[in-house]
Amino acid sequence: MQQEQYKNLEQQVTPPTPYLKNALKAFFVGGIICTIGHAITYFYIIFFDFTENTVGNPTVSTMIFLSMLLTGFGLYTKLGQFAGAGSAVPVTGFGNAVISAAIEHRTEGIVLGVGGNIFKLAGSVILFGVASAFFISLIKLILVTIGVVQW
Amino acid sequence: MKKIVFFFFVPLLLAGCSGNDKTIEVYDVLDDAEKRVEVREILDSNEDIYSGTAIFVNNDLLVAVQAKPWLDYKKGKIEKELTNQFEEQFSQFDVLVSADYKLYWEANKLLNEEDSKKVEDQVKKLKELEKEET
Repeated sequence: MQQEQYKNLEQQVTPPTPYLKNALKAFFVGGIICTIGHAITYFYIIFFDFTENTVGNPTVSTMIFLSMLLTGFGLYTKLGQFAGAGSAVPVTGFGNAVISAAIEHRTEGIVLGVGGNIFKLAGSVILFGVASAFFISLIKLILVTIGVVQW
Repeated sequence: MKKIVFFFFVPLLLAGCSGNDKTIEVYDVLDDAEKRVEVREILDSNEDIYSGTAIFVNNDLLVAVQAKPWLDYKKGKIEKELTNQFEEQFSQFDVLVSADYKLYWEANKLLNEEDSKKVEDQVKKLKELEKEET
């Protein structure tokens, strides 16, 4: 069978990808996750001394903690299969990436397995976050020193 | 199933469209009617907010407003504009205008408070909280 023929056959047999359906699922599940995040934001604002400026940190921590728990119980995988990017793009996907790598490699031992692989996926995210925050604050420091902007 | 979802979701979605009335509340220990009218005039004239609460206590004036949902990005500008207006009108007061939800929530809780000392302490605390950035 020629390569071209195989390609044609493969295209005939493969079912079409439901792009619209996938996008809608991702939209709604991602939206629900963000709504839960917003509810947590209001919870911290109303019951604790957080303003809209400061409430981001505890909200993100709580969302990551919840997704870590769900990953541990095996529920986040099911959500990921259903919603795709809708569950991976919000910050909860970060918690899932950390814990799922740790669970996957736990048979290799605590140090070399869990310790060595826990940041396999999420490590690059943390690195990029820290490095870009460093450079942006450096740029702002220079601009403030020159007198272009204020803190 | 689809009908049930439709039945529950449409009223929920449409509920967001109702209630265009601006709610403006003023707390003033001295109950000065003139001040109330002036505050109402300033807040009423601003098209970018849907609700506002002003609290007069001693030399402090705390104005907590809520920007219209699609105008959240303009919060800084709204605060600046209102601060200028209030500082001009009430130059004898130490004015703080904020579009933060925390300050709005706490200011609304203070409206029913009768102990002016408590209100004063709370306003001071809120002013410090507004400065907090960490």
